[in-house]
Amino acid sequence: MTGCSMRYLVVLIVAVGALSWLIRALPFLLFGRSGEPPKLVVYIGRVLSPAAIAMLVVYCYAGYVRDRPPAEHLGMLAEFAAGAVTVALHWRWRSPPLSIAAGTILYMILVRLF
Amino acid sequence: MPVMAGYGTMGFAAGVLLAVQGGLSLPALWAALSSALFISGPLQYLFVDWVRTSLALGSVLFIVVCMNLRYALYGLSLIETFREARLGTRLYLIAGITDETYALEVACRLPPAAKRRYCLYLTVLDHFYWVAGVTLGALAGGSLTVPADGIDFAMTALFLVILTDQCRDRRNRMPALVGGIAAVGVFAVLAASLGVAAARMDMLIPTMALMVTALLALRKRLEGGADGGRSA
Repeated sequence: MTGCSMRYLVVLIVAVGALSWLIRALPFLLFGRSGEPPKLVVYIGRVLSPAAIAMLVVYCYAGYVRDRPPAEHLGMLAEFAAGAVTVALHWRWRSPPLSIAAGTILYMILVRLF
Repeated sequence: MPVMAGYGTMGFAAGVLLAVQGGLSLPALWAALSSALFISGPLQYLFVDWVRTSLALGSVLFIVVCMNLRYALYGLSLIETFREARLGTRLYLIAGITDETYALEVACRLPPAAKRRYCLYLTVLDHFYWVAGVTLGALAGGSLTVPADGIDFAMTALFLVILTDQCRDRRNRMPALVGGIAAVGVFAVLAASLGVAAARMDMLIPTMALMVTALLALRKRLEGGADGGRSA
């Protein structure tokens, strides 16, 4: 068992849960009475969301660069192929469980080959 | 209900992942606790990553803020709907705002009082499916005997799925590109100086700073595009 310390785990769960709640409550706290939020806030909220998700996709791929050096694994062919299949299926069928399951199973097969 | 299948399956995969890769004793307990409090797919998958690498709490909380901004934005359009709800109910409804729940809540055309009851019912059900899926996944993953190499791709696939959905709206494509380029750039620069492992660990905060700066600089252009998109 590698894992993290018990203290880290408890602090992590409580802090992440509490902060998630607080951020979700912010619009209600700030604009619950008066109504209109400032345009800059709405703009940043809107554009930051896709930017952050794109960043997390790169973050995931950075993890593969670390764990499976591209030079030894056909330049991350498995990762890019599984990613492309996930996106293609999702673009066409719009079903998150289908796209995620298909991409993941394909990846699990590919990592055994390459 | 389609949400049951969706949250059940995605939660189940996150639970399996936690049990297989988290290296925790009693994964089902931690799965139940974290899913009950986070109520978020992305955070549930990232949780496994944090537990595995003991990522610094500062970086974790930073990413928590970013991930919840999306839900906070949803909240803006629910202020009216939730206003008359009792405080406890309102706090729970707010905690339970997620992609699917929000989509059903704004699509609902009932009169206010009935709509509030509908939202509460929906939030409780979705929350339940999610916690049940994650917990059962952790239980199943704990007794898994076949090797599960590569199952961590479920997290990558989840983010790709969310990104794909966001990019159906043209207005989101440029911001997504900015985020992707910023992340690749920061990772490349850090990897060259600190090595790949350290770069991956430290990339999020500088990337966010770069992204916000770039998005503020591009505001005129991107907001102009927003009006064009709306009138079209």
